[in-house]
Parts: sequence; C-alpha cells; structure tokens
Amino acid sequence: MKYIKRINLLVEAKNRQTKQKLDRLGARDEDDYGCVVPPEDFKFELPIKDENGSFSGAYAWGKNFRHLMECHPVYVDPNDALAGRWMFMLSRMRQGYRLELSNFAFDYSHLKPNQHKYDITCGIGKDAHFAPDYRIGLELGWGGLLDKVKRSLESFAKDPIASELLEAEIDAIEGVQNWILRTAETAHAMASEKNEPELRENLEQIAKINKYLVNGVPETFREACQWIAWFNMASRTYNRDGAGGQLDELLRPYYERDKAKGMINDCDVEFYIACLLLNDPHYYQLGGPDRDGNDMTSPLSFIILEAASKLKVSCNLTIRVHKKMDKRLFRRGVEILLKDKLGYPRFSGDKALVEGFCKNGYSEGLARERIATGCNWMSLPGMEYTLNDVVKINIAKVFEVAFYENMKSMATLKNLQELFARHFEIAIETVAEGMDFHLEHQYLNEPELMLNLLSYGPIEKGLDMSHGGAKYYNMALDCAGLATVADSFAALEQRVEKEKILSWQEVEKHLSDDFSGRGGERVRRMLAASEKYGQGNSLGDNWARWLNKIFVEKVALRTTPKGRKMIPGWFSWADSVRFGKNVGATPNGRKAAKPISHGANPCPGFRKDNALTAMSNAIASIQPGYGNSAPWQLELDIGSTQHPNAVDNIIALLQTHFDIGGTLVNINIVDAATIIRAHEKPEDYPYLIVRVTGFSAYFTSLSKDFRQLVVDRIIES
Amino acid sequence: MKGIITEIQRFSLHDGPGIRTTVFMKGCNMRCAWCHNPETIQIKPQLQFFPGKCIECGECIRICPNGVHAVLGNKRVLKRDLCVGCGKCASVCYSGALVLVGKEIDTKEVMKEIMEDIQYYHQSGGGITISGGEPLVQKFFSFEILKLCKEKGIHTAIETNVAMPWSDISFILPVTDLIMLDIKAMDDSVHKKWTGVSNSRILKNIKKLSEKEIPLIIRTPIIPGVNDSTEEIGRIAKYISSLSNVLYYELLPFNPLGAPKYESLDMKNVFEHSKITDKKLMKQLAQTARKFVKNVRMKV
Repeated sequence: MKYIKRINLLVEAKNRQTKQKLDRLGARDEDDYGCVVPPEDFKFELPIKDENGSFSGAYAWGKNFRHLMECHPVYVDPNDALAGRWMFMLSRMRQGYRLELSNFAFDYSHLKPNQHKYDITCGIGKDAHFAPDYRIGLELGWGGLLDKVKRSLESFAKDPIASELLEAEIDAIEGVQNWILRTAETAHAMASEKNEPELRENLEQIAKINKYLVNGVPETFREACQWIAWFNMASRTYNRDGAGGQLDELLRPYYERDKAKGMINDCDVEFYIACLLLNDPHYYQLGGPDRDGNDMTSPLSFIILEAASKLKVSCNLTIRVHKKMDKRLFRRGVEILLKDKLGYPRFSGDKALVEGFCKNGYSEGLARERIATGCNWMSLPGMEYTLNDVVKINIAKVFEVAFYENMKSMATLKNLQELFARHFEIAIETVAEGMDFHLEHQYLNEPELMLNLLSYGPIEKGLDMSHGGAKYYNMALDCAGLATVADSFAALEQRVEKEKILSWQEVEKHLSDDFSGRGGERVRRMLAASEKYGQGNSLGDNWARWLNKIFVEKVALRTTPKGRKMIPGWFSWADSVRFGKNVGATPNGRKAAKPISHGANPCPGFRKDNALTAMSNAIASIQPGYGNSAPWQLELDIGSTQHPNAVDNIIALLQTHFDIGGTLVNINIVDAATIIRAHEKPEDYPYLIVRVTGFSAYFTSLSKDFRQLVVDRIIES
Repeated sequence: MKGIITEIQRFSLHDGPGIRTTVFMKGCNMRCAWCHNPETIQIKPQLQFFPGKCIECGECIRICPNGVHAVLGNKRVLKRDLCVGCGKCASVCYSGALVLVGKEIDTKEVMKEIMEDIQYYHQSGGGITISGGEPLVQKFFSFEILKLCKEKGIHTAIETNVAMPWSDISFILPVTDLIMLDIKAMDDSVHKKWTGVSNSRILKNIKKLSEKEIPLIIRTPIIPGVNDSTEEIGRIAKYISSLSNVLYYELLPFNPLGAPKYESLDMKNVFEHSKITDKKLMKQLAQTARKFVKNVRMKV
C-alpha cells in the first residue's frame, strides 16, 4: 500500500509518454520500449560520419556513442526509485537505416540475387539479439569494467584491431559514467528544491546511489536494480538491445542480504522491481532449473510477477516450465495472465529446449543455462552469439519459385516436392554464406560495444562478440510460412493429384490472375477447403512434418561454409505481413500480397472448432528440436478465461504442450468485439496492450497492417 | 459400429470437467422449442443453406439430381421438399453455403479423433462427453464409444434428457462416469407445451439416478416466458435439494446463437427475437436457487 500512489503516478507518466511517442513518431511496428521522447529543443550531431551520413567501425561507434551519452538529457522522476530514461537509438541514426535491412559497410552483392529470389532476410549487419550476463557487470560495476578493459588494452597494445575495439569500449563506459554522474547531480539539485519530505528523501537517495554507481559495485538491492537499469538504457541507446536475463536469480543475493539486515521489506522490493520494469520492458525470465536441474524459483520470482501485475503496462516476463518447477509459480503466472489480460507472463518449455540443445553436442548443465530472452530467442547469457530472430527465409517465396518452375515441365507433385527441396537448399546455403560474411565483417561495421562488456571473452580476447569473442556460435535461422506452404502442398495433392478435379494448368492460371478470372473464386474456395496443417492426421499435417524434416536436415545437421553451427526455428516475427507482400497467390487459397501464415501456427480457420488442443499438437509435432523455439502464438478467447476452472484448464493445456515437445507459448487474451472496436478507433483504446508476436506493444502504436494481423488472428480464434 | 453424428468438438470446456472432446449425436426424442442445436433434432442427415456464403457458382444446380436448387428471377431458391439428403450439392459447395449436417461414422474413426487429446484429458481431469441431440437415441453407438474410452482410461460423460425408459439409461451406466442433464420445468403442462414430452418420467429417472453412485450435474437453460421466474427456478432447486450425488446445479442463460441454424434449415424459430438472459435476472435466479442448493453455478 505504501507505494500505490507513487506507482499510479509513474504509470500515468508512462501513459502520457506513450501518447507523446505516438504523436511525435507515429505508428511503430515493434515493441513498446521504455524510451521517452527527448526535449523538443534537443539537438544532436554525430561527431563522426561518412559522406553517406552513416558510420562504421569501433572507433566511430565509440566516439559517437560517447558523445551521445555525454549529451544525453537527464531524466529523474521524484516518484521513481530508479533514475533515467533512454531516448535514442544510435544504430538508427545512421543514414539509410531500415529495420529489415541494416546498414552494412561491405559489399555482399554476390549474395543478393538469391536473397531477393527467395525473399531472405539475411541478418547481415544486424546487431544484438543475444543475451548478456548481467552478473559480470553486477560484480564489477562500471569502474571495474573500465579497469578490466584498460588492463586488456595494455596486453593488446600491439594489436591494432583489439586496441581499436578496447579503446572504443573505454569511450562507451566513460560515456555511460558521464550520463550517470550528471543524473546524480541533477537528482541532488532537485532534492534541494523539493518540499515533500518523502520525495526529497527519495531524490537524495537517487543522487547518492547513482553517484556511487558511477564506479562502485552495487551492494544493495536497489543499487543492483539501478545498475541493471543503466545497462539496459545504455544498451538500448546503443543498438536497441533488449535481451534481459534470469531476473529473479540475478537479484536474489541482494534481496536475501538486504532482508537479513532489515534494510528492506517485500513491499520495498516490489516497488523497486516495478520501477525496473517500468524503466524498460526487457525480456526477463523467472524460475527454471539451475545447472543441476534444481528449481530456481524464489520468493523474488513471485514478487516480480506481482510487481508487473500492479503496473499493468507492457511487460515481457517468461516463466520456465520444467519438471521440478514450483507449481505455485506456474499457477500464479496463469492467474495473472488471465486476470490482467496483458499477454504476460508467457511460458517456455524446458524439456524440449534442453533436450534439443543437447543434440548439438552440449551438456545438459549448459543447456539449462540457456534462457528465453526475446520474442523467440534462446541464448546462453554472455556466452553465445546467435543473431536470433533476424535471419529468416520466406518459404512461401521458395514454394512460389518451385511451383512456377514445376509448371515449365511436366508438372507433378513429386517434381514440385523435389524442386522445393532443391530451392530450399539453395536458400539455406545463401543464408549460411551470409552468416559467415556477417561474422567476418560485422565487427568492422558495428561492434557490440555494450554487450561485449557483459560477455565472457570479448574484453579478454580483444575480439568483438561477432568476431571470435564469443564462446559459442549458434546461428539462428528461422523460417516463415510453414502453414501456407504445407496447406498449399496439401491442396495440390488433394484436388489435383488425388481427386483430379483441378489440373495443374488451371491452378497456375488462377494463381497468376489472383483468382480474379472466371470461376476463380470457386477454385480459391475449393483450394482453401482442402485438408490443412493442424487438423490432425491430415495431408496438411503430413506436409508440415515433411517441411520440418527437411528444414532440420538442411540446417541442424550441417554448418556454414566456415564451420559455424546453425539452429533452425519456425518464427515469422511480424514479418508475415511484409513477407506476404512479396508472394503472389498460393494454392492454399491465399490471395496475392496477403500475409503468409504466422510462425509455427496453423492458418486461421484450420478446423471448424479451432481446437487449441489440435493446434497444440500440430505445433509440438513440427518443433525442429535443436534448442531454438518454434513458438505457439496462442489467442485465448475471453470465454475460456471466464470458466470457473480456467486456470487449471490453461495450466493443463500448456503443461501438455510442453510435455509433447512444445518450446514457447506467446499468449494474448482479448475478445473479438474489443479488438474490432479498437481497430476502428484505436485512439479510444490508448492503453490496450497486445502480444503481437513475441513482443508486446500498445495496440494504438501499431500501423494499420499490424493491427489487422492481430485482429485477424483473434477473430479467427 | 456406425452411427450418425453432427460433429466432434475438441477442447470443449463447458461439457464437463477439464479439457474434453464432445461428440454430438444426431437425433433427439424431445422437441424443445428453444433448442440451440436444431440440426441435431432429426436423426437423418439434413441440408443446411447459408445464403450469405453463396458465391453463385451454380454447381449445386448442375449436380442436384432432384432439382432442389434453382434461381428464379434473381432469387436463389431451395425446394426443400424435393431434397433427399444425398449431399451431392454440399460436396461441390466450397464456400460453405450448402452443408449436409449429419454424417455416418464408425466408432473407430470417432476414437481416432478422441485419442488425439488423451494427454490433455489426463492432465486436466477431462475426458469425453457424448452430447447431441440425445445420445441414447443411438444408445448402442454411444455405449460403444464410451466403452472404448473407458478401456483407454478416459473419463466419460453424457449429456442426456433422461426422457426414455429406465432400461435405456441403466444400459449406459456401467460405462459412464458423469451424467449431465437438464430440468427445464417442474410444471408438467409447461414442460409438455415447450418440449413435447411430459416431465414425469424424467423426474422419476433423475430420482433413480441419484440413488446410484454416479455424479450428476443438473442444468436449467433459462428460457424467456417459460421458466425465467424465481418461482419456477425455486421449485426446480427445491426438487434438486432432495437428490444425492449432485455435483452442482447450473443455470444457463438463453442462447440466441442457434438462430442462424434455424434459418439454414428453414425451421421456425419461436425464440427468434429473444436475447441472451439479462445478467441481473441470472443473478436473481441463482440467488433463489442457492436457498435450496449449496453449489449453484451461473454460466456467464
């Protein structure tokens, strides 16, 4: 109760800031971030940029970041336990930046023809998308990190590449320290002008804590939260990194120590956590097994859940479901999910993830350390470079290429299948080459100055995480369009080959004119009414399993040309809209330019009853099984959440999904009527939060296309 | 063994405890005027027509051997009296405008679908429910499915009107873990008027069931102008209070979602203009019921 008023004021501020972002920046089809809009009169010039307005290399990144940190406006809210809000992303200040295609200072035009042909999102030049280990920073503090870098620099004095990187790291750290110090000074000045004793005391605490944290190692719970917040804000400012970590376990030692000393109570802890979650909705994991398989759930796991529930803003918490888990955490997580209807927490399935990762040759202990830190990401904190979620193949495009090539000769299903497999192979090879290219050049393009600091290896070796600094390289390759392609194969098998009510030429004709010709709509309906992936033992299910089989064979059982491991997953992020625009009509009855299927989900309307158990079975059956996820995007209708035994039913559904091989479940609970109204007049629903794919966002901040994606999924469910 | 069903619905949460699969039988021995599944009343397959889905391809006209389908002027016409239910038109209608509801199916095929979710039943304390229609109109078929489920360790339930000879009910009991049944009205004249049958045998059967050790869930659909009064619900609740083994008594609000089905079958819908029962009234009726029965639920 003590902090209710302050939490309400902080949430009001967050809501105002959300509106300000929408007004100033317009629709943004990505996560809700903790950033705020900078002051109107704030001006910033990059000190180092090339003739194209971009910049690359450690030196430029270090200097630009340092300058940005040193100029960064200070933000202190007297009601907040923690100081700071971030406002910019340096990575997007490069001229020509696009979300789907990063700036890259090196020519890879030799890969572009195939990348274009198969609509590959190559990931070359992409940043972050792997997890840091916050323990490194919490144990050293900024001062200790600086010392570590300086010591390493001395040992690499004769290595120009390492020296450039390490000097840039020094720029980054000193820039962050500058920002923290100015914030502390501002808080101190604000304290002297504050009349209310509670808020004055709070500001003085903020000033003291942050002055200390410029160099000091966090010792108290609040200091640890503030340290994490600073790293998060700096890392977001650098390149949007939002990976997060195993939050309950990171903070447990501070919690236990401070409580034992009588310095804090659970009410204080909940408030500090609420402030951390408000600071930015990083992806945090709760519960789960330690290296030995023992459950890590602690009282803090529950406090974090309760803090999120009190805030009711966008949040990204994942509960790890495993054999020895504290079932109360599972239950409380589902209760909050159903009560608040904000799309969190979501749930990951340890059994399949751990078993899968071990198939790459890793130990069970190491596999258990891997955590879910992004939309669909899995990452060993501080150890693994992955490029999660940024490398994708649009297999609907691959199918399209194969289909029309099939039509040039004696079109048969067998021929189409072989052609698809062949083109898929080429697409994967193109991706693999691109990954090697990225790994060879990215450190010269955009080093991971922030994430390097909280990783094991880069500072010690003088090598960027992308270029030999990491312990493990497991490059994530996701494919999108599973259901679209599986259902297309199934429709051809059923209507053309088995029933013979359509010829190949008729299908080609109708696809080419987007079903607009004479009889086109009937043919479209006929194809759309064919057996689908998700129905259970259908032709579509068989094709989906075949697609998964060849995907796994071509990815998990090989390496890139330079020997890097690749791990397959099924995930489209929200690219199902963008990918769909690049693909014509498909034989599953989909019209040209419409979104392709989402992630691992069956297409909407796959069964008359849309049974969630059928969906769960289908998605569990196509898990690639090498440690990365193929998430289930679960839209729960309001009716099923209002049942007296809703919590038990949902727990049973999720537990079974994980028992049979599921890896991750992203959940929305919004009723169709609300989402339709919100789509028509988003301004009337400024605080409606939805889980778009793995990320959560304010509905009103999404573009019309993205809102439509969510609406269609919810209505069809 | 074969039987006629309308559909198999997986992930049912409202037809018994836990996560269930519900098998809807075709055919019913009652004629409840408010039935929200009118397509389950007659046992033989029937043609449904949803004109809003028609894309006017004309294939149904071409294929029908009996001239059921036609276009007169600009109007799409369906001569239902000529229809023999062969399903040829529905088989070529991909828009879903024409649907033959009711298909013959073997117990093996039913079990194949049921078994898909066995892990969810075990995890949630769920199972399978035979509903309809009236399951005991096809008692041998229902029995066989329930028996096969019991052999697999699956919890079984039926939703029945118990308006049949006791011998039919007792026949199914060895393979049934839970019975869900309705009491629509205590007033027999009201019951006969709106359902076509007397409630006398129903009430006797319920009494006998309560003397067996089989759990019962008793429901009353609240129907406007029929039983939506505290007096009627009070009488029903008082009767229930004399029974044993009742897990709970549930009040169900009137369900208007059956209206499109009546139109699709060209059936008269007496409750065409009725709306879902007002929440305030539901609460009032539940309060009345709680005077007699401890465990009363109200579906929202």
